[in-house]
Amino acid sequence: MSENDNRPAWATYPTHTGEPAEGGVLGRRDAKIDGRARIVGAAVFTDDLKLPRMVFGKFVRSTQAHARIVAVDVSAALALPGVVGFATGAELPKKYGVIPVAQDETAMAIGKVRYIGEPIVCIAAVDEETAHRAARAVRVTYEPLTPVLTIEQALDPKMPHIHEASRKPSNILRRVFQEYGDVDAGFAASDLVIEDVYEYPGSTHVPLEAHVALANPEPDGKLTLWSSTQNPHYVHRDVAHVLGMREQDVRLIKPAIGAGYGGKCDPFCTDIVAGHLARKLGRPVKISLEREEVFYAHRGRHPTRMWLKMGFKRDGSITAIDFKAWADGGAYASYGVVTSYYLGVFMPLPYRLENYRFESHRLYTNKPPCGPKRGHGAVQPRLALEMHIDRAALQLGLDPAGMRKANCIEAGSETCNGLKVTSVGMRECIDAVVAASGYAERHGRLGPGRGLGLAASAYMCGALHPVYQNELSQSSVQLKVDRSGEVTLFSGTADCGQGSIHMLAALCAERLGIEPADVRVIEGDTALTPVDLGSYSSRVTFMAGNACISASDRVRERLASAVAAKLGVESSALSFRGRRVFVTSEPERGVSFVDAVWLAEEMIGPIGEVGGYKPHKIGSRFRRQSVGPSPAYSFTAQVAEVSVDPETGIVTIDKIWVAHDCGRAINRTIVEGQIEGCVYMGVGEALYEEQRYRGAMMTSPSLLEYKIPTVHETPEIETFIIETHDPNGPFGAKEAGEGPQLSTVPAIANALYDATGVWFRQPPFTPDRVLAALSRKVT
Amino acid sequence: MLPLPSFQYEAPTDVVEASRLLSEPGSQLIAGGTDLLVSMKHRLFEPRLLVSARRLGLRGISEHAGWLEIGAATTLHDVARHPTVLARLPALAAACRTVATPTIQTMATLGGNLMLDTRCMYYNQPAGWRATLGYCLKREGTVCHVAPKGRGCYATHSADTVPALWLMGAEAEFSSARGVRRVAVSSMYREDGIAWLRLERDEVLTRVFVPLDTRRVVHRKLRTRQAIDYAQVLVAVAGPVSPGGTWTAVISSVSSSPILVEAASAAELSEAAFRACQPLSTHLAPATWRKKMVRVEVARAAALIG
Repeated sequence: MSENDNRPAWATYPTHTGEPAEGGVLGRRDAKIDGRARIVGAAVFTDDLKLPRMVFGKFVRSTQAHARIVAVDVSAALALPGVVGFATGAELPKKYGVIPVAQDETAMAIGKVRYIGEPIVCIAAVDEETAHRAARAVRVTYEPLTPVLTIEQALDPKMPHIHEASRKPSNILRRVFQEYGDVDAGFAASDLVIEDVYEYPGSTHVPLEAHVALANPEPDGKLTLWSSTQNPHYVHRDVAHVLGMREQDVRLIKPAIGAGYGGKCDPFCTDIVAGHLARKLGRPVKISLEREEVFYAHRGRHPTRMWLKMGFKRDGSITAIDFKAWADGGAYASYGVVTSYYLGVFMPLPYRLENYRFESHRLYTNKPPCGPKRGHGAVQPRLALEMHIDRAALQLGLDPAGMRKANCIEAGSETCNGLKVTSVGMRECIDAVVAASGYAERHGRLGPGRGLGLAASAYMCGALHPVYQNELSQSSVQLKVDRSGEVTLFSGTADCGQGSIHMLAALCAERLGIEPADVRVIEGDTALTPVDLGSYSSRVTFMAGNACISASDRVRERLASAVAAKLGVESSALSFRGRRVFVTSEPERGVSFVDAVWLAEEMIGPIGEVGGYKPHKIGSRFRRQSVGPSPAYSFTAQVAEVSVDPETGIVTIDKIWVAHDCGRAINRTIVEGQIEGCVYMGVGEALYEEQRYRGAMMTSPSLLEYKIPTVHETPEIETFIIETHDPNGPFGAKEAGEGPQLSTVPAIANALYDATGVWFRQPPFTPDRVLAALSRKVT
Repeated sequence: MLPLPSFQYEAPTDVVEASRLLSEPGSQLIAGGTDLLVSMKHRLFEPRLLVSARRLGLRGISEHAGWLEIGAATTLHDVARHPTVLARLPALAAACRTVATPTIQTMATLGGNLMLDTRCMYYNQPAGWRATLGYCLKREGTVCHVAPKGRGCYATHSADTVPALWLMGAEAEFSSARGVRRVAVSSMYREDGIAWLRLERDEVLTRVFVPLDTRRVVHRKLRTRQAIDYAQVLVAVAGPVSPGGTWTAVISSVSSSPILVEAASAAELSEAAFRACQPLSTHLAPATWRKKMVRVEVARAAALIG
């Protein structure tokens, strides 16, 4: 790509050997190697597992938002036939949490409860119905405390502390303040300043599979735990920590997962209490959450209030951004410290910006804890930023698409807050959706009730720094090559539906010249698979993919050296393709892949190799910039077309055009699936999804009343894959699973303005809100 | 997962036996079960005995003397695709097709829809949620959270097929060990969220009769999503029998019983409906918007009649 020519050295540092792809696998549309098992119902999920003597755990949950626990009486529950035992929070006093500086959670409440639905006790019984009845028979006596339910209350120093050990003046988990350049000078030099407030609602992930854990106490005192988790490694660490066990005595297995979207990134009460009860009772314990409980486990999108002030020059360039955000985080930290950074650190992407200031607060309230939901922390501010861009373009008389393109950063540039951007396909993305949607001709000209809206966004490909301090590999892959020709790939990754199993098989197959289906992927089992940090921050393809290439290349070197010796050529003269290893210049001269394995095993011995990946220390100018830097960034542009019914206020999303710079599509179908999935979730957040409360009670913890779009509400989605071949990505790949989430809602909001002349600054854009705004506009 | 409470199950083969079983305390009739089983999981009902309608011979559609007879256990799927229903009673077919989802329509029955429990945002919730709330007037509690100072229960009639059947002049046959009675669908309900059905506990809805010479009826269901959801506003509208006659609408999902509205013109009908209906706020829609939608939906239905 010509735009990459001027990149600095750090932007071109090659992660792998950089050999051109030759295996013929990349960019194809193969069905996932594990896809059929899911389609025919053969995939084994945690809840499918049954063990002899297994019992079921059921939580007793708080009916109070904020209260001291005065007494817990389990006698009526224990008297029921079939009840075999129970566990209380006090039995598991060690605090845990993925983020080391914010470990504030225990598996069940101890002494006080902090949200309605918080687990207090777990009852175990021989069947689920008995456990359910027994849990309902437990009596908990509370001494109510004043609940803290809103952003205002959380900031109020007169309100009680939800976490009494906190030394902060109010219920603030983390305040982040960062300033780059001279913001005030930037505003002084601007021709236009736009300032407004936005409210983004809380929403949740809705994985079809609930959280499930099954624990088996082993005869040797060890523990095996099956868990529907996105992050086996962190669950492994925290379960061992809380249970007081050595990590090597806990085996964590992740069976097939029915999606996560960030909702299964934390260790949950299911994992820890199942493990504890299994050891206490000496028999297997399964805990499978009900849908209502999944809503309480939550870790969803933070409801966020935002204030954004932006300065512009007449030509549309941005002179300064001042941004404040307050995130209502619920009762525990979860990933909230990271959220407080993600709310601000991506704002300098993808537009050139020298002067930037942001202040964010992640707050505690007496509600289920928020955490990482697809596009973690970056979705909310993107709505404000992209609406501001459109508002500025209209006020300045500029084309919103042209203004965005004119301000795009270049590959090889560093943002004002020290993010180093190695590849950028932003302009290509905008061009693709603008051309396909007819935006240039149709925006502003569709007439009343119909509109087009454009938005752009950028996201990360994994965090440069691991969440706990270490210099070890962030991803690792082990390969075993059988003399049958089968390659077994071991990885600690957790495919939660995004396709990481197929990604690993495809990259391995690409390097070894075989087919993805020739690779058997064993993942997410701490007894078998080397560590991978998990499925979060859009890191898996980039990091595990690089680890996979590294391991595959080592196998390839082994096979090549044996074949080269046999054929009397140099290793470098060989190609791997079509299940053959052959002389590149004389393709008929070669051996089959199986024969290559035999030759290598004869010459060298059994073939097994390991590869690891950690990002190069491309670093940052700013010592404190620990959250935000990523080895690469993805870019997305979207155009939404909407219709608004003037009598009902009902918004219909007619079509979405989306273009995403994923670096390189390893499998085009899976990339498109990820992009469409993001758009789908964006449509839900734009039109329907909002966690509403009646006081401290979630009003609709069910899939009937918490409405995610059905096939009817899902618009036609036309997807364009933009490939920029990132220098550090595996064969140039970046990410596709989260980035496209960011620009869907702002594209819809901008389209709504085009349709109605109203800036809707608070999703979801429900019919009553739209109708009320339309009537205000008329009067 | 959310377990069903345990229960006994009987599948009698005649209605008299079913009626006898239903007269016993703690028994409950089950047809398709698509609503009942969810409510049982929510512990709204914990029946000792479920009496199945499956083997009562109540499935099937036939024509007699200008009436279409629909067995109460006929599935909504079968009703919606029956040639006579499609040709002569398209609003009934349309109403059946708006219930929940196509998958649920293959289990749910027409009789079950007519007998559908009234619904409320404080009632149709899991047991733990209702316990936290302190329960409600309709189930286990003493206060209606919709109208804490009121005396009644405001749970909402939400049966999609009822407004159309009402306007078509449909009738329902109830059988018990004590005999058989046949009543107009329009007289089955009353404005009481708890006792919304005029029914004795041992009675079984056996057949639904729909006159084939009915007026043209238009069914409309306004809902958040085009599948799964219950209505925000449910209307059926019929035009005058003869020129200058009365326009009629039945509106449901806004009160505990469907509301009948009559007017001299289509325009007056939508205004009369707007005045007659006082819907409550739901999870996703405030009462003010729903009230406006009554007018819009009645007007749109009337426009379709022309």
